[in-house]
Amino acid sequence: MPETLKLIFQVLVFPGGLFALCLGLCLKGFERRIRARLQRRVGPPLLQPFFDLAKLARKDTTIPEGAPACLFSALPFAGVCSMAIAAAMIPITGVHLAPAGLGDILVLFYLLAIPAIVLMLAGSASGSPFSAIAFSRELSIMMAYEGPILLVILTIAIRVGVSQGGWIALSLNDIIAYQQRYGAFLFDPVMWPALLAFLVFFPANLGVAPFDIPEAESEVLDGPLLEYSGPLLGLFKMMSAMKAGVVIGLGIALFYPNAPGGALGLMCFVLKCFVVSSLGVAVLRTSMGRMRIDQAFRFLVIWPGILGLVSLVVVLWRY
Amino acid sequence: MSSLSRFAGKSPWLYRINAGSCNGCDVELATTAIIPRYDVERLGCQYCASPKHADIVLITGPLTTRVKDKVLSLYDEIPNPKVTVAIGICPISGGVFRESYTMSRPVDEYIPVDVNVPGCPPRPQAIIEGIAKAIKILESRS
Repeated sequence: MPETLKLIFQVLVFPGGLFALCLGLCLKGFERRIRARLQRRVGPPLLQPFFDLAKLARKDTTIPEGAPACLFSALPFAGVCSMAIAAAMIPITGVHLAPAGLGDILVLFYLLAIPAIVLMLAGSASGSPFSAIAFSRELSIMMAYEGPILLVILTIAIRVGVSQGGWIALSLNDIIAYQQRYGAFLFDPVMWPALLAFLVFFPANLGVAPFDIPEAESEVLDGPLLEYSGPLLGLFKMMSAMKAGVVIGLGIALFYPNAPGGALGLMCFVLKCFVVSSLGVAVLRTSMGRMRIDQAFRFLVIWPGILGLVSLVVVLWRY
Repeated sequence: MSSLSRFAGKSPWLYRINAGSCNGCDVELATTAIIPRYDVERLGCQYCASPKHADIVLITGPLTTRVKDKVLSLYDEIPNPKVTVAIGICPISGGVFRESYTMSRPVDEYIPVDVNVPGCPPRPQAIIEGIAKAIKILESRS
């Protein structure tokens, strides 16, 4: 029974639910401020994403005519729940181990696909032509990045697995233990192709420029979220904030998890999150325009795919 | 929930409706939003693409007969609480298009306008002042 209670705590409070939400919102506020500074603006307060959520909680909710009300309002909850569970599965070195009861890295991989699916369904449930365009864009961009990221995960899992005497290690805890012992993959040239592939995957998955094609405000009016308002829109904002935390956390776990234990480890994790977010999201957003969907699809299939394959072949050959 | 209402004024999302404007005021609005010098994001403002996300509606243009119904249905789609700001002289009186046969009545005969920002076009500073007043009204409404 205490195991179950512990699991529930991990999903709802730390490092899932509440912690992931606060971390994600802080990352977002920080990123908006950095972006403003890069454009020589003052920028919003650091807590702006929290204010946005508080405001959205007080707004009216409208459900478009002809939309299936039940599906329309259940979708954002599904997205937030999936991200809360996914966040509980991200280990933080020295603080939190991925609970065995929730499953391995493949389960996490599937959970990471849920926000995209939720957005697609939300777009199609809205019944707006703009959302329908966003639906097809979200689908094609997702199909483009899922394959290469699987190659990256496979590469790392095989490398760690071989060292353990087996041939594949699907537990994030093992991956972290390996790196704590033999050094982080970030500093290992053999893993750099995989790292590059992950760095391309990361903005595509988070919907950041140049891959913010499904949610493009100026073309498809926020795409899937076009018809959402008030608290339901707030849930989507929560989902995307938590997703940023989860994807960045996954990147840290896969490539640079090394940290001391205890509170210092937690601080290290948060600091790494902020560095990745300001370099990877804010700078990218400020410096890049938006790709067309066909360009993005080709780019995401070819380059991360090649990089992933190269790293897989190198790892298979060397280990 | 009522304790949340004091945050409403910290995150006003702006939505632009062009009701037949000549684009002069729209250029000024874009200037207000985009140029670093008049950074309205520091007030928490954000231009949003969908009327469903809007808190403050900025209407430009004299409301021509052709767009009248569309503007009214667009206005209805914006969830409460909302505040309306009329930008430029056109929504007030029709401005230079006053005598034209394509004009409807002034905007405030159809939509409750909270703040008027006159000018042809108004300066960015005036628009920001109008938005700041609208934020106060938004706070009192939520």
